[in-house]
Amino acid sequence: MIAPFNEYGLLSDGAGLWIALVIGLGFGWCLERAGMGSARKLAGQFYLTDLTVFKVMFTAILTAMLGVFWLGWLGVLNIGRVYVPETFILPQLVGGVVFGIGFAAAGLCPGTSCVSAVTGRGDGAMAVLGMFTGIFATGIFFGSLESFYNSTARGQLTLPAVFHVSYGIVVFAIVLVALAGFFIAERLERRAQIRGERPA
Amino acid sequence: MTDITRRSVQVLASAALGLGLLAAFAGNPDFASSARVDVRSLARNVEAEEDHVTAVELAEWIKDRRPGLRVVDVRPADEFDAYHVPTAENIPLDKLVDTPFRKDETIVLYSGGGAHAAQGWVFLRALGLPHVYFLRDGLTEWLEDVINPVISAAPTDSARNSFARAADLSRYFGGVPRAGEPATVAPLHELSHKSLAKKDSTTGSTAAAVLRIRGRGC
Repeated sequence: MIAPFNEYGLLSDGAGLWIALVIGLGFGWCLERAGMGSARKLAGQFYLTDLTVFKVMFTAILTAMLGVFWLGWLGVLNIGRVYVPETFILPQLVGGVVFGIGFAAAGLCPGTSCVSAVTGRGDGAMAVLGMFTGIFATGIFFGSLESFYNSTARGQLTLPAVFHVSYGIVVFAIVLVALAGFFIAERLERRAQIRGERPA
Repeated sequence: MTDITRRSVQVLASAALGLGLLAAFAGNPDFASSARVDVRSLARNVEAEEDHVTAVELAEWIKDRRPGLRVVDVRPADEFDAYHVPTAENIPLDKLVDTPFRKDETIVLYSGGGAHAAQGWVFLRALGLPHVYFLRDGLTEWLEDVINPVISAAPTDSARNSFARAADLSRYFGGVPRAGEPATVAPLHELSHKSLAKKDSTTGSTAAAVLRIRGRGC
């Protein structure tokens, strides 16, 4: 767990792993119940017929962002001690493209592929196999990848630091973007639904 | 979408919008900038001299590899690069409060003199870290008492004892104890220590660093 619990010594590494297991199982269960184990549902996102994944992700981002911001503002959470992953522009762009191709081709992302495999779907199992093959291959060839892996490092970049605005402004802007996104997503889904009901 | 679902979506969306709008006016969250300090307890620590360690104590802790010890140099990076206490990490004062420390770690801060480290001590104690200490006279004390300890011409018994202890540490850290101390060869197990591997080179740079730091008069 990267959150401050470990750093303050409130949780040992072992306890952190157990909690991660419980949260992971809960997360997987919720994904399955929401129908996210199905590649058809996830692929719907790319055809703009089912934007559940988009809405779920943005809901999670909004909830976490508002929680972290206000807990930080109230002094409950010390944001300075929450780990911010570093930015490596080129490797992350390439990683994003590889991830996107895998997502579109399999119709599953890492979490949902596990859910899909656990529910006995063959495509899910293959996606998990592919994911672990990729991890294994990266590990084996890491020596020759390392210089690229560490290239174009920009350190811990945050939107407030890049745009020279306060965290509150960024929070507000992301809330607006998310709400607009939800609104558009719902309209797209409704349109797809109407089109689906009216056979061409 | 049922009516209840639609209504809860609307309520949640309005809540998010409201919290987002308020956030725009709230500015920045609290970055550890308003930690609480129990000033009475800090004052008691200072009064009981529990706030600092001597350079010799620190040297013994490093030599004994005290578990969970972190030696922190709060000076700017260029001064750190020129010379620093072995095993120390460089965390300038403005980065100190954002650096993750564990409550079970023993943190020893030092600066060139003593003021910055003492200020850092207050910051870290205010953040609730219990085992924080500083070197009262900073790097100067380290150089004078550990690296180049000096004994007076007519020492008392206790002075002689403490000098023997300091001289031992001095040799361990590649320093040169001065006075009528017979030249001894460090035991082999000490010579194998990492800090002594570069003894010849560090002695020279240490001497130069002492001159530089003394010359600066801090």
